[in-house]
Amino acid sequence: MLIITSLNKTFKTPAGDVTAVRDVSFSTKPGEMVAIVGASGSGKSTLLSLLGLLESPDNGSIKVDDVELAGLDAKGRTAYRARKVGFVFQQFNLIPNLSALENVMLPLEFAGWSVSERKTRAREVLSTVGLGDDKVLRRPAKLSGGEQQRVAIARALVTNPGLILADEPTGNLDRKTGERIIALLRDAAEQEKRTVVVVTHDEKIATAADRRLEIEDGVLREIA
Amino acid sequence: MGSLQRGVRNTFRNTIRAVAVVVILAVAIAVSISMLIARDAVSAKIASVRATTGTTITVSPKGFFGFQGSGTPLTASEVTPLLSLPHVTALQETLSQRLSSTDTSLNASTPSGDLGQQFGGGFTPPVRVVGTNSPGTALVGGAFGGSTEKIVKGASFASTSDADVAILGTDLARANNLVVGSTFTAWATHVTVIGIYSAGSSFANNNVIMPLSTVQRLAHQAGQLTGATLTVDTLSHVAATTTLVSHKLGSTADVTSTVQTTQTALAPLDSVQTISTYTLFGAVAGAGIILLLSMLMIVRERRREIGVLKAIGAPTGSIIRQFIAESTTFTVLGSVVGAGVGIVMSSPIASALVSATGDTSPAGGFIRPPGGSPGGFTGGGNGFTPPSGMPTGSFRFGGFGRTLTQLHTSVGWGTLSAAFAIAILVAVIGASVAVASVVRVRPAEVLRSE
Repeated sequence: MLIITSLNKTFKTPAGDVTAVRDVSFSTKPGEMVAIVGASGSGKSTLLSLLGLLESPDNGSIKVDDVELAGLDAKGRTAYRARKVGFVFQQFNLIPNLSALENVMLPLEFAGWSVSERKTRAREVLSTVGLGDDKVLRRPAKLSGGEQQRVAIARALVTNPGLILADEPTGNLDRKTGERIIALLRDAAEQEKRTVVVVTHDEKIATAADRRLEIEDGVLREIA
Repeated sequence: MGSLQRGVRNTFRNTIRAVAVVVILAVAIAVSISMLIARDAVSAKIASVRATTGTTITVSPKGFFGFQGSGTPLTASEVTPLLSLPHVTALQETLSQRLSSTDTSLNASTPSGDLGQQFGGGFTPPVRVVGTNSPGTALVGGAFGGSTEKIVKGASFASTSDADVAILGTDLARANNLVVGSTFTAWATHVTVIGIYSAGSSFANNNVIMPLSTVQRLAHQAGQLTGATLTVDTLSHVAATTTLVSHKLGSTADVTSTVQTTQTALAPLDSVQTISTYTLFGAVAGAGIILLLSMLMIVRERRREIGVLKAIGAPTGSIIRQFIAESTTFTVLGSVVGAGVGIVMSSPIASALVSATGDTSPAGGFIRPPGGSPGGFTGGGNGFTPPSGMPTGSFRFGGFGRTLTQLHTSVGWGTLSAAFAIAILVAVIGASVAVASVVRVRPAEVLRSE
């Protein structure tokens, strides 16, 4: 259960202070897929960074399963990211000289899993997202865009986190591949009872989500 | 795969860059190691020269040198107290005598030849006796054309001995069919041969070494000395001690030291030592800067990757370890290649440095300057300096510097430890910038730049 209350974030720039997130409050339930839409510069990525504890809020509260996260120190934030959150990026952001399998094993290493456990679990998740044994030892450059994004989703799911944060996950994919990725995220929410928050311009994702939130000038509102 | 393994693998992500960095590092490390080895070799040489030749003071009767010149023998009461002077660590006293055919049953081992005949018709080379209280300390070799005498048969005598015993040079013993246990006569006394020595030259091996007290007694020269050598603790004290000894002995003695000769001869080596030290530091700094810039470039190139790793839960320490492993791999590869090249190149580099600093001394031994007249029995050998004030026409000493150019380079544990420390220093310098940059990367930047 994710509960966000009165979250604010302002950046200091040479041109003056820019408030990226203004008094944002919302909550999600396990198994729910939430889409956050908005124009460029509206504050959606900053909100995603705050939810993933990549940024610290100026004030406000972020609670996951009744645990307050906003005041965590750097070590606590790192541990939270390693175990409780999975990230999916628009550019995939796979490590180029590691194989698909090794990329998926990375979060398990940071979460403290043993090497043999990492391999077994990573293969299992890669299989779930549709990457067979013939692909898992390939480096990202030898995979298609869709396959790379599947690897990225597998990397996000591998530690079995309660929260998946996806930033424009279909932005670099063709329509058909994008639909498969949406289905994977949808499955991650429904079948595994995870909360999936997707920042997107993609109307299809917004439509596939259980709820749709719109952000404009840092202010979030729910769209029915 | 852990962070260290990832770091090692990352070293080869860009093969061309990896090879370039390793080659440049190898060159810098090769220069460092060559300089380290050259510096050690030069230091050892300087220490060796200073230990063997640089810290002695020679005392001889005024106007006396070898068996040339004139003068009055020194007395033990004048010389022995010198041992208590500050910085004097040893005192070697000698009384040298020539045994003519009426004084001894011994015959010289070398015929007079054309050179001997230049001193007058019918000349017979005498046998030289050295009475000493310090047997085995370059009595006949160092100063008379050879190395320090070495007992090859039998034994030596105690420094305080008063027995009628002698150690003979190999050539003299052979010429007189004497072995250990044989006897010969000197000053009408039967003297027993207790040892045979070799000092590396025919001249030096034509001598008799006996206890000082015995020679003083048999030659009726009780308490008299024809020479003394004082050893001073360090080269820096030689000049002051020489002055003090001169002052103590007054006009009765010539007091000379090798300090000036040694310092002049060592000056090129001191220069080499300085050059190699600066070059060593320069090469280490160069290697460090090369790695530092390479790592800076690599970290900047991988900012996004660092951000992604942080975003998916990598502790900063783990990412730092990864870059340290990468930096260390570069250093290890550069060190292995560089060490091989450095060790091979150290000897020629050291020789080239010594040659470049300039030494033009000709071959060893005494050299007769132009216009000089033939001399007598004074000979030359490594490390010996004739007394100051020697008149033109006498001998001067040469070849000291040539000995100094003969450097022996070797790689000991000390050098290897220093080289290892250099490699660690280079790796630390190289990794430091990576560590600082990694810490600064904020994972949110990755999302913002999407």
